Amino acid sequence: MSELGPIFRALLRNKVGAFLLALQIALTMTIMVNAIHMIENRSSMMARPSGLDEANQFYLSSNGYAENFNERAVVEEDLRNIRALPGIVDVTQINAIPLSGGGWSMGLQTEPGDDKPSVGVAVYFVDDHGIDAFGVNLIAGENFNPTEITYRQRNEQGWPQNIIVTEAMAKELFPDLTPAQAIGQTTYIAGDEPMTITGVIDQLQAPWVGWSGVERVMLVPQRTEFRSSRYFIRTEPGQRDRMMKAVEEMLVAEDRGRLIRNVRTMEETRDDSYRSYSALQTILWIIVIILTIITALGIVGMVTFSVNRRRKQIGTRRALGASRFDIMKHFMLENFLVTSVGLVLGVGSSIALNIWLVDAFSLPRIGWYYIPVAMVILWVVGQAAVFGPARKASQISPALATRTA
Amino acid sequence: MFSYYVRLALLSLRKNILLTGLMVAAIGLGIGAAMTTITVNYMMSSDPIPQKSERLFHVQLDNWSPNQPYEEPNEPPDQVTWLDATNLLQEGRAFRQAAMGGTSFVIEPSQAEQKPFIASGRATSADFFPMFDVPFLYGRGWTADDDNSQNLVVVLSKATNDQLFGGENSVGETVVMGGRAFRVVGVLNDWQPRPKFYDVSTGPFNEVEEVFVPWSLKEPLELPLNGNNNCWKPVGEETFSAFLRSECVNSQFWVEFEDPKDADSYLAFLNNYVTEQKKLGRFERPLNNRLMDVMDWMEYREVVAEDAIMMMYMAIMFLVVCLLNTVALLLAKFLGRSGEIALRRAVGASRRDLFLQYTVESAMIGIAGGLLGLVLAWFGLQGIGGLYGDMTEGLNELDLTMVGFAIVLAIVSTILAGLYPTWRACSVAPAGQLKSQ
Amino acid sequence: MLRMHNIRKIFKTEMIETHALRDFNLEVEEGDFVAVTGPSGSGKTTFLNVAGLLETFDGGDYLLDGQSVKGMNDTQLARLRNEKIGFIFQSFNLLPDLNLFDNVDVPLRYRGFKAAERKRRIEEALEVVGLASRMKHLPAQLSGGQQQRVAIARALAGQPRFLLADEPTGNLDSQMATSVLDLMQEINQQGTTIIMVTHDPMLAKRAGRNIFVRDGQVSEVGKEEDIVELLHKTAQVG
Repeated sequence: MSELGPIFRALLRNKVGAFLLALQIALTMTIMVNAIHMIENRSSMMARPSGLDEANQFYLSSNGYAENFNERAVVEEDLRNIRALPGIVDVTQINAIPLSGGGWSMGLQTEPGDDKPSVGVAVYFVDDHGIDAFGVNLIAGENFNPTEITYRQRNEQGWPQNIIVTEAMAKELFPDLTPAQAIGQTTYIAGDEPMTITGVIDQLQAPWVGWSGVERVMLVPQRTEFRSSRYFIRTEPGQRDRMMKAVEEMLVAEDRGRLIRNVRTMEETRDDSYRSYSALQTILWIIVIILTIITALGIVGMVTFSVNRRRKQIGTRRALGASRFDIMKHFMLENFLVTSVGLVLGVGSSIALNIWLVDAFSLPRIGWYYIPVAMVILWVVGQAAVFGPARKASQISPALATRTA
Repeated sequence: MFSYYVRLALLSLRKNILLTGLMVAAIGLGIGAAMTTITVNYMMSSDPIPQKSERLFHVQLDNWSPNQPYEEPNEPPDQVTWLDATNLLQEGRAFRQAAMGGTSFVIEPSQAEQKPFIASGRATSADFFPMFDVPFLYGRGWTADDDNSQNLVVVLSKATNDQLFGGENSVGETVVMGGRAFRVVGVLNDWQPRPKFYDVSTGPFNEVEEVFVPWSLKEPLELPLNGNNNCWKPVGEETFSAFLRSECVNSQFWVEFEDPKDADSYLAFLNNYVTEQKKLGRFERPLNNRLMDVMDWMEYREVVAEDAIMMMYMAIMFLVVCLLNTVALLLAKFLGRSGEIALRRAVGASRRDLFLQYTVESAMIGIAGGLLGLVLAWFGLQGIGGLYGDMTEGLNELDLTMVGFAIVLAIVSTILAGLYPTWRACSVAPAGQLKSQ
Repeated sequence: MLRMHNIRKIFKTEMIETHALRDFNLEVEEGDFVAVTGPSGSGKTTFLNVAGLLETFDGGDYLLDGQSVKGMNDTQLARLRNEKIGFIFQSFNLLPDLNLFDNVDVPLRYRGFKAAERKRRIEEALEVVGLASRMKHLPAQLSGGQQQRVAIARALAGQPRFLLADEPTGNLDSQMATSVLDLMQEINQQGTTIIMVTHDPMLAKRAGRNIFVRDGQVSEVGKEEDIVELLHKTAQVG
């Protein structure tokens, strides 16, 4: 390390070239840190559990179109028939599919009145088989009773007495109560209509993955008579693909004046919903990798030039007693210095860009560890890039020193 | 002289082919990445109806809760109620106006072998078609009379007509939709404004609807809502009619003026309308009505996805890194030739001559990088199409403007990158370098 | 001090083999000031490179300070150059980006001296050549003669057993050349062995001993012989 002094002083005489390289490294670090941060951020959002048994679930939609379509009878019969198939765990009629992007939301509040604050919540209309079909766990209270399931008309305004909410929703409404204590609490919907929490489930996601309240869900014990509904089906492990075919075939076999469409798995739905996330991740990875390669090749090019320009100087150093290793060390150290200056600049600009991203795109702050990790990576990349040209430099003959041209 | 410089540049570029390749690749990748993301942003933010976007205005009325705004700090809802859309349509104060909202139909094809299917639909009024310059393949839109008499008429999209009638002229034919027989009055030609500006509520780049029917049918046929519905107070009675007359927003209202200046008087009319409605106990918030032309509305609704903007910034920074790389390499290269430069200066080359010579050399790297960048941008856009699927349909196409922009961007940025190295090279003294070494 | 016995150096290309040195024999005693002259292409520079351990040789023996250098690896040779030999080059070979202090410092760094030791030696060496006051200057700010003095200071700072000078005044005007040569003579008188390669007979005459190289072989020049004539003769023959 004792050679740093003269190398640094020599670099200062070659400011522009060294500064350009340092600037390039600073920007590379800035992009790297923030891109990987974005990638990580998306990953953590994608990793949030939905609460479902996704690998074994699918759904389909049933739309009645015929004038004489008897929705109540058809739905009840469908559910019964599906449940009777071997390989099916359970099924429920539902108005919207978790993670799918389309659904229904309402506001719940702890005090009645139009002017009181309310908490947004996703609404799933399910029957007493809902919890089982989702594969979620009841952590407090009770499941719906089969007798309390009612039918909901398209323009109906009222709400049933009892609801089940997710733990996240219970916490949002009653921050100080445990799930068990939330049982029996009254909340108000549509301003002043009271509802009682009779059950709390551990986890279930809303239909909107980009929503900040994605963990807030309530289950309402009603079947819908909207002429269009969905069946959410859970199968035994490994039976999903077979059951999808079997259920669809069974439902279309008889003409009941309705259309069966959109038979899809939860896994497809998840992929679709997060497609833009994983696309962004892929693109950012490509940018980071190509960028690192370009910066590395840039370093190779710069050092090669510098070696070619300094052939005679290198020969002289060799003549004065520098070993091959000394020459390599010289170039590696030189690059280490330039890279370090770049990385110091990079720390500042990475944080600056992150602050701006936080501000403009409401992205979270970067973790402190991104900075040292990126620095180490770029140091290693820099040293690896210098290695080739530096080795070539070390092969220069000391006899070059006595050549006059 | 110019061809001499080109020859010199080619010689110099060929002499160090690896380095030239590195610079061209860096510029190409930078331009490719930047162009890919800029194109997506450019397509997202393009004017969907440039010939009259300044004369088309979207209407917002603030009928929201007196206790809290629709959106902080004090934004009115981005849709209007069915009631207000219907009222404004009846008033007919603008040159043209259209009320509209999304819906859907189950269509039962007349051919027995075709199964019933669900089609996306739009209930709207007669002016929709002339207002938005909608192209027709057969027939035309319905008339205000059809609207008023609640006639069962329909305009089909080209694809729907292909499906139902094999692409034949179907004007006058009958289509069974939702159990009722509709008479076809028109078939659209290919039409897909991007963004789908007239209704961005369920996604600004969604497909245009498959069937269009008169707005006046929404109530009697109880057409289902296909789109967003937002309410701030209970509907009250449990009927469809009560739902339509509630404070729930789920419709769009557009007006066209012959002169954009007419917007002021129309806004005055809107304020007047709301003031009248206040007497009926509606519109409890202070007057807060808005009229925005197409491009303002697109900006207000932020149709350009945040991810696209973020990616564009990242890609532009990437381009900057590639350019810094090029500046550093050109600098090293040009300075490595001080001897040659000094010799040229000594035999009579002026600074200007050298400047030209080296600028030509950088420009050639720029041209090559630009062409490579275009190819990469094309692949990049295909890649984006592959990664995002339907979401980016129509957004990942290079048009001539973008191709031109890419080439100009490449050449200009490379010449800029070469400027400092060239300047340094030109300031080599004629004598200085000849003596030593 | 320096003994070369039957040194051979051959340059091979695809077409021809050139014998740059053939059966080259030379002994230099401690404290000698030897001038090596010869027409261009005679093998002067090859001799210099071999003597200075800048190039290896293909046959024969070379003892430097009693040590045989045959078969030494690159690192050992570098070490030996650094400790025993000081170089003075025709075009000075100062590192343009380093100031005088750092230039003189270069061999001392490779020697591995401690900072204080280096500083003492650098200041002393620059004092000897009369440039101590300008050690923060860059080489480009000095005249040619001054630059060569810095090069001499750099060669001396490591207190080598002998100096190897390659046309040390070749790039200098006569006045500067004289002063540089004066300096070298002074150094020689203090006990440092010097081998100087030059084509300038006037310069060679100031050395204590004259060697003439022709066709890769060496011959001693007697006091009575005139180098100018020798050069003249070989020029006619060759």
